[in-house]
Amino acid sequence: MRDFARQSALIAHKDLLIELRSRERLVSTLTFAVLVAIVFSFALDPTVRPVRIAGAMVWVTILFAGMLGLGRSFTLEQEQDALVGLLLTPIGRGALYFGKFLANLALLVIAAVVVYLVYALFFQLSLGGAAAGLALVTFLGCVGFMALGTLFSAVAASTRLGDTLLPIVLLPLLIPIVVFGAGATQLLLIGRPLAEVGGNIRMLAAFDLIFVALCTTVFGTVVEE
Amino acid sequence: MSGGDPLAQSSSSEALIQARGLEKWYGHHPAVRGVDFDLGSGEFLTLFGPNGAGKTTLLKLLAGSLRPTRGEIRFARGDADDEHARRRRIGVLSHQTFLYGQLTADENLRFYGRLYELGDLDDRIDRMLSQVGLTRRRRDLVRTYSRGMQQRLALARTLLHDPEMVLLDEPYTGLDPHAAAMLRAVLEQLRDGHRTVVLVTHNLSQGLELADRVVVQVAGRWVSDEPRAQLDASTFEALYTERVGGTV
Repeated sequence: MRDFARQSALIAHKDLLIELRSRERLVSTLTFAVLVAIVFSFALDPTVRPVRIAGAMVWVTILFAGMLGLGRSFTLEQEQDALVGLLLTPIGRGALYFGKFLANLALLVIAAVVVYLVYALFFQLSLGGAAAGLALVTFLGCVGFMALGTLFSAVAASTRLGDTLLPIVLLPLLIPIVVFGAGATQLLLIGRPLAEVGGNIRMLAAFDLIFVALCTTVFGTVVEE
Repeated sequence: MSGGDPLAQSSSSEALIQARGLEKWYGHHPAVRGVDFDLGSGEFLTLFGPNGAGKTTLLKLLAGSLRPTRGEIRFARGDADDEHARRRRIGVLSHQTFLYGQLTADENLRFYGRLYELGDLDDRIDRMLSQVGLTRRRRDLVRTYSRGMQQRLALARTLLHDPEMVLLDEPYTGLDPHAAAMLRAVLEQLRDGHRTVVLVTHNLSQGLELADRVVVQVAGRWVSDEPRAQLDASTFEALYTERVGGTV
């Protein structure tokens, strides 16, 4: 277990260091998030109160912005065949997956924070009272999203269709995350208490556990030639 | 030559690897067929062959990054059945460097060194960078390196964990004469009698320089397996042309 944690931390640190240098994923993800918010602000019927649909808008933006950055996660490893180099080291396949997952999760959480701030600015959403609940729900949603996203970005990177394939395969599998995440977010944004979304939180946590455990286990078969 | 006596080839040294009935198929296409050999500890084997002969596939099988369709590769000594332990015993240098362009040379080696859980990592990194002549550029991002410098750093990465067996896949590709000479000097040092080396190349003169044993692979089969001492360059060139031309 200590080896697993150490190896995962090494991979996550390496990915985040590379992102810190290149800022490729963060810049594209955050730009996309702001643009989607702008599009929504123009497209939305002025008679509709934004807060009534804010949960859906936030989650659609997080999903598509996250998808945009995910593709880069494993193309990074394809340059100079670095993934082959990694697989030749004594690193466990599960630890390799988990490290990539942690780095992807960290980047998505940053993007999600920015998404909330942008929507608060554009649609005058009040986040203050529900901040803790929103943080918890969003974090759990991001965990599930990145658990599957990391696995399928590895699959997509090894196929010719690559980035085209990723959303087609991934989005249907994310429906449970969207249903429970957007539902809870919506309720919290309209001022309902955290206790009212307890069921959603438990379901998100359950899906997270299943997704993370399953993907950590099967990742080895995905990346082995 | 798969039908020859492989043990005879490595009689002077203990066999580190035994490959028996090795085959790798991609769908209906055989990349490696019926290859049997023993590879002695400390032996330097050069594998020649035309494009598509399956040389890189054989190297991947030896590295453990591919599983054979049939047959087996057995490692002698140590934790031969422990895949993680086996990976510690092997170093692979390909024409792809396995390096990250957005990291410095130092960071790349430190990252790989930690994956191998190496002790005295600072000393090892200093030594390897000095050996490949990159000490002064160690803090520069690898993407700013020339092709030759990247390949030298890849060599440092390959040898950082002091592997018992080194697999080299076309390591001279894209190198200028200076970089090729430096690579050759490092490879020369690998001939220490303990480290087993397998070099895959198209280049006859570079491949023959350091080899103890010379193999020609065509269409997945070993069609020639000779001790280097019994060959001079012109004889081998004629033999290679005959074997490759006659089989393809």
